[in-house]
Amino acid sequence: MKKIFLLLVVAVATAGGARLVAHHSFAAEFDASKAIRVTGTLSKVEWTNPHIYFYLDAKDEQGNAVKWTCESGAPGALSRRGFKRGDLKLGDTIVVDGYRAKNGSNLMDARRVTLADGRIVSGASAGDGGPQ
Amino acid sequence: MTAMRAGLTSSVVLCVLALSAVATRAQLQVPDFKSNKPTPRMANGKPDLSGYWKGTTDTKPGGNIGKDLPGWKLPLTPAGEAALNHNLTATIDPESLCIIGGIPRHNASGLPFEVLQGNNKIAFLYWYSYFRLIPIDPNRKHSDDPDPSFFGEELGRWEGDTLVIDSIGFKDEKVWIDENANPHSDALHVVERWTRPDGDHIHVETLIEDPKFYTRPFTYSRTWVLGKPDEEIMEYACSENNVDAAHLGFGPGPIRPDGTRGYIDPAPLPPPLPRK
Repeated sequence: MKKIFLLLVVAVATAGGARLVAHHSFAAEFDASKAIRVTGTLSKVEWTNPHIYFYLDAKDEQGNAVKWTCESGAPGALSRRGFKRGDLKLGDTIVVDGYRAKNGSNLMDARRVTLADGRIVSGASAGDGGPQ
Repeated sequence: MTAMRAGLTSSVVLCVLALSAVATRAQLQVPDFKSNKPTPRMANGKPDLSGYWKGTTDTKPGGNIGKDLPGWKLPLTPAGEAALNHNLTATIDPESLCIIGGIPRHNASGLPFEVLQGNNKIAFLYWYSYFRLIPIDPNRKHSDDPDPSFFGEELGRWEGDTLVIDSIGFKDEKVWIDENANPHSDALHVVERWTRPDGDHIHVETLIEDPKFYTRPFTYSRTWVLGKPDEEIMEYACSENNVDAAHLGFGPGPIRPDGTRGYIDPAPLPPPLPRK
């Protein structure tokens, strides 16, 4: 059984690149001081506008089951950069690096996704002003 | 040796990610360049503005309608200051709620757009599947009391090789004039002057007047470059699954000293996993 874990990362500051706008500002929804890594099993995928969402069954640091909602960019932007709907298969164990929602819910901005086959894809929303 | 290999692997992964980030930006904005391609023209001799247009990477600060003003300082009236404060502290970005951004906000956006031009009308097509359709007719006059709209009542006319779009009749609620939550009122008057100086560029000079919220008119200019032949606007149904609407805070979040939205010092993501 693969080890499933949730790691909260307290991080050193780095400068982020300036980007232009997308559907909404990264900073209106997510907290750039709360970088996290979530490893979990894909339970649902919504390949929809204005963002795709995929849902993970994971465990917290105490081993309790926890569900995460992961938000990425729009389908058109993701597919143009090579991140396709078929890359997310239900039951896959994937690793998602990103930032927590400011409201404390189990929603995260999935900026980097390590797929089950080890391929790393960018899930960042195009031009949202978020960290590069 | 193992440590060296691990370090090398991490470096390769980081390079790939950096290139990926650059490629992601390149989908939206590209470096500017000189062009010797002639301006394409319609059968009537007027410049043809048609094309898929992408912003340039030297357009800074992006998303800020005060881009061309010293310190990006907008000449807000007291009512304008109050409206800005309201936008920052009590409104969710209308565009993120799938409300049309309108003009001039779309001209300050980082997203590409497409133009389709006819002899008597011109269409601007935007991401989010929004469009504006503007008559080109020097004889048309503004209505006495136009229905307020997000793009306003737009009238087009040619002045030589410049397409002038004069717009009034804007809404005064659920509107931000740019990505940074700056305000506009229903007194907004926008005059866009569009040119295509060569085959690869389109340019706008914009005059923005709003005596309710701004003490004087100000300008906003910008250049876009032509996308690749196979690039075009794609379907984008904003209200299909707007899950994040319930999670958005008021305003755009922090504004950096360089006039753009976002955090100054974001925490880094965990290091990438080594490739299998």
